[in-house]
Amino acid sequence: MSADIHIGDLADFTAEQSKERSARNLAAASLRFGSLIAFAVILTVFSLTAPYFLSIGNIGNVLGQSAISGVLAIGLTIVLVAGGANVVTGGIDLSLAANMGLSAAVYATVTQLGYNDPVAVAASLLTGLAIGAVNAAAVVFAGIVPLLATLAVMNVVAGLELVLTQNTVVPASTDFLTALSASDALGIPVLAYVLLGFTAVVTAIVQYTPLGLRLYAMGEFPDAARAAGLPLKRLLAGAFLASGLCGGIAGILSVSYLSGSTTGSSEMLLPVVVTALLGAVFSRRLVPTITGTLLSALLVGFLVNGFQLLNLSSTLVSGVQGILILIVVSTTTLLRKREI
Amino acid sequence: MRHRRLTLVSTGVPDMTAILPPQPARRPDDIIRFDRIVKRFGGAQALAGASLAIRRGTIHGLVGQNGAGKSTLIKILAGLHQQDEGTIEIEGQRIDHLTPHLAETHGIHFIHQDRLLVPTFTVGEALFLGREPRLPGTPFLDRRKMQRQANETLADYFGIKLPTHALIGELSTAERQIVQITRALLDHPKVLVFDEPTAALVRREADILFRLIRRLRDEGVTIIYISHYLNEIEELCDHVTVLRNGIDVASTPIAETSANAIARLMVERDIADMFPKRRVEFGDDLLKVEGLTAANRFSDVSFTVRRGEVLGITGLLGSGAKDLVRTLFGLERAQSGHIEVAGAADRARTPQAAAVRQIALVPEDRRGHGVALDLSVAENITLASLDRYTSLGVLNGKRERRDSDDLIKRLRIKTAGRDALVRTLSGGNQQKVAIAKWLSRHSEIYLLDEPTVGVDIGSKVEIYTLIGELTERGAGIIVLSSDLPELIGITDRILVLFRGRVTREFISSETTTDEVLAESTGASERLRHVG
Amino acid sequence: MSLSASHSPVAPWHHRVLSSLARYGLILALVVVFAAFSLATPTFLTAGNLQSLLVNNFTLLAIVSVAMTFAVSAGGIDLSVGTAVDFASFAFVSLVLAGQPVAIGLLGGLAAGAVVGAFNALLISGIGVSPFLATLGTLFIGRSVQQLLTNGGNPVYLPPSGVPDAFRFIGHGAISGFPLPLLIAIVVIAAAAFVFARTRFGRVVLAIGIQPSVVRYSGIGLGRHVAVAFILTALIAAIAGLILTATVTVYIPSSGNAFLLNAIGATFIGTTLSPLGRPNIAGTVLGVLLLSIVANGLLLTGLNFYWQQVGTGTLIFAVLAFSFINRKTGGA
Repeated sequence: MSADIHIGDLADFTAEQSKERSARNLAAASLRFGSLIAFAVILTVFSLTAPYFLSIGNIGNVLGQSAISGVLAIGLTIVLVAGGANVVTGGIDLSLAANMGLSAAVYATVTQLGYNDPVAVAASLLTGLAIGAVNAAAVVFAGIVPLLATLAVMNVVAGLELVLTQNTVVPASTDFLTALSASDALGIPVLAYVLLGFTAVVTAIVQYTPLGLRLYAMGEFPDAARAAGLPLKRLLAGAFLASGLCGGIAGILSVSYLSGSTTGSSEMLLPVVVTALLGAVFSRRLVPTITGTLLSALLVGFLVNGFQLLNLSSTLVSGVQGILILIVVSTTTLLRKREI
Repeated sequence: MRHRRLTLVSTGVPDMTAILPPQPARRPDDIIRFDRIVKRFGGAQALAGASLAIRRGTIHGLVGQNGAGKSTLIKILAGLHQQDEGTIEIEGQRIDHLTPHLAETHGIHFIHQDRLLVPTFTVGEALFLGREPRLPGTPFLDRRKMQRQANETLADYFGIKLPTHALIGELSTAERQIVQITRALLDHPKVLVFDEPTAALVRREADILFRLIRRLRDEGVTIIYISHYLNEIEELCDHVTVLRNGIDVASTPIAETSANAIARLMVERDIADMFPKRRVEFGDDLLKVEGLTAANRFSDVSFTVRRGEVLGITGLLGSGAKDLVRTLFGLERAQSGHIEVAGAADRARTPQAAAVRQIALVPEDRRGHGVALDLSVAENITLASLDRYTSLGVLNGKRERRDSDDLIKRLRIKTAGRDALVRTLSGGNQQKVAIAKWLSRHSEIYLLDEPTVGVDIGSKVEIYTLIGELTERGAGIIVLSSDLPELIGITDRILVLFRGRVTREFISSETTTDEVLAESTGASERLRHVG
Repeated sequence: MSLSASHSPVAPWHHRVLSSLARYGLILALVVVFAAFSLATPTFLTAGNLQSLLVNNFTLLAIVSVAMTFAVSAGGIDLSVGTAVDFASFAFVSLVLAGQPVAIGLLGGLAAGAVVGAFNALLISGIGVSPFLATLGTLFIGRSVQQLLTNGGNPVYLPPSGVPDAFRFIGHGAISGFPLPLLIAIVVIAAAAFVFARTRFGRVVLAIGIQPSVVRYSGIGLGRHVAVAFILTALIAAIAGLILTATVTVYIPSSGNAFLLNAIGATFIGTTLSPLGRPNIAGTVLGVLLLSIVANGLLLTGLNFYWQQVGTGTLIFAVLAFSFINRKTGGA
């Protein structure tokens, strides 16, 4: 392969192209930096107005409190990546919150029945996987649109949780659970480490392996993925299994955090959805990413925490989330229109 | 040079039985051979015994009008369709059941129009999707290696360097095509098929592409080059095959022919009395366009259409003809220029406004934009004229049904009933529904974009008759078509666009198909080069 | 350039059987379920129970589902129907509490619903945000707005003494034996069916949901119609809010969201009734009926209350799976 063919005046050709490229990048960059700046501003404002906000202890607190929703949001992100941007026909998993609730209930019930921790952990994870499998079957084999499939599954799973717990809180407290919810391993809750560790592992897989790259290809441009010979059905099914597993993990964390099952799991669904959708704003390419979702979850965590420290109702956070997502989506839509 | 004249029998379908061309002589270095391929889709015959012999290490051009069978032949080569009759040989080996995977293992790669690259991937990621290099001993991507190899290959073959973190979506069309070609090159292909590669490129980008293609040929790669631009075929290819009506009518070395000769081969057709005679008096100016310009699409277009007139417009992909028609209907914006409808300036430019000014568009993509497949015939017919049936917001169902039945009868739309879904109609009848929609509204200016593509002969004639009737009632019609005999047969004048400009205007009755074809494939430009 | 014939080939007989089953499956399921519960519990098939079923389970869900059908017909979805219900509820109670006549309260409630709808319309038609995301945002913002308006989520009660007669009549009154809420629901259903079947607006909205590009290429403005569709959705949901409040004489923040999932379920189950899977009022109503009968029946059979949700969910799942599989095998 010789390199002596002069393709001549390509220098100015590519220069022209890159000038156009910069213009297009500016919009995307401003969106991404805008959100990072917003994050920083929020942190600064709170640190100035609320005492102890930026202390290690408090940050650790926030991490710990965000662990459950963070794990759920990350699970949802996997499906978002693999299923594609169009929320109705593309990837979404509405059954995650119910999944967590049932998995938590399973853990609590199993320990109540006298089994030990490893068995309970296995039971919870299997529950999560099973739910993921049902989702996968519904979407990949029955061809039901993910929005509806996971909606139906959510209904069933939430019902099963009610059956299992009779709408009460099933308490559970074992050594393992207590260890998990301990709040001072070097001054930081164990759950914080769990969140960070979990994020690191999933990030490694989704952002740094060929498997992750293929998931992105499938979600963004299925025709290109197919042309590259990728097994689309298997990949999508795998994504739903993975999110199901994350639901199981979140369930274990939840049981530890609340020392038992919870009746409020359905409350978490929409906030987790918004968190995962907002995560795209923290990535260079404006696509959903694991680290972006983590940042998004932490943003919410800091907001809730800050509001609490300032004695504001933390339920206002949902309004902030709503405004944020509308701003982000409107901006991207308008920007895309201008390009045409 | 061998070719056959084809005569139209009364049904309008070429009679193949006695006149299949002789088989190309078998040569030992033919890398691909198609022998008498027949392919039917429903009732229509896309390929009627086409043969193709590609010699290894050459650049082989494939030309033919829309509907001649080019894309079907290529899809069969790509394994996307199976032939009904005929044999395929690749490297001397007969293959009965070609699949996309099989084509790839034989080293045949395609550079398509729709670039199958993920927009949010970097160049490196797009190149190596499916065969990603890993960090040795780990399951992780070796991004640095991907980037390095990408840069090396791009620099080596094209001499260009794209910024490390550039995303596919941020690249220009030419750059994206370069990435797509590079991805194919990574597989060390034996055969590369280019399908209309220069339609979206400017001259300089096309030159780069040609230099690359020649270099690949010199290195032993076989190239199949499909294009409508005959001057490119003339300039680049070693050999060319001409398809017409599903048969190869000629296969010859470029040295022994010329662009004009090729053009003549592409369109020769005896035209039986397919086109109704019209005798219409032209009335006032109905549509007047002056200096219309849309950046990067067409510039300085001016023409007039009078009542009763049928104006034809034609041009290759990228000539601006299609964009011109879309702009007239308000689907795209022009930057400068002037449009007048029936003497009044037309300033508002949206489809809504156009419809109000009684401009109608029958789009080329019938199933996507022309008719709603899952609505009934009646619902489609009244879709553009609902106001006429509405009083106080309520639809007058009886009048709707009556008028729909009228139009169904008048246009002889073959349907199970007015409530049948348009999906169940044949292509020709669907097209009639698309036209009926505007008749229902009594539109005055009709923009017909490829009105008879995928339409059976019988319906074609009916549509031509309809056009004639409309002109008798004082409508003005613009027909955009790449079917040149049709264009000459039904229009009064023809405008030819080439790369955004009107290069010539013909009086239909005083010109020939190959004159028009030569013009639309750049005859004026060729003359400019020569002169 | 395709030369393929545009006829759809006639489907094999077993596909056609499945297709009919899928279409009438909804009706079949209704009949089966109705019969099953009639046999399982003696109390099901009594006038009192059926009336209770209709008024308590059916009425409000039917109205909200009809509202949702408008949004889905236009090719989208409205996650904020519950928000419209709540806003209307809040406005109604607050106005009456403040001494305003019931009529003003009703108008105020409708106006509050319209505000939610207008907000959605602005996002969806004005900016071009996808309906799912737009209404998701509205839902979230709506929650916080309600928190702020009620100083932290406190319900707003009408004291028993302060309930005007008109108010009580809407919630519990009857005309010739028919409970007023049910009558209102029937009127809403009939009106919606009329709009879809016989008006220009309904025709255009349906077409937009089916193939928006053709509508645009026919010279009709998409934005306006989609905007009105979403405002209408919110208004109809608001009606449900008014009836709800009149019945229970209290406004509880964010309680309207309980309708959301079942409304979505009913609307999409309803699409199985149409041969093409188009959203339609009749199907939606039957879907609501099915869900109501199941909920009521399970309750009566003394089955653990919690199994009901499982039952409803499984039912929705089965109907969906059936219709999607059927569509994939080229049925309808």
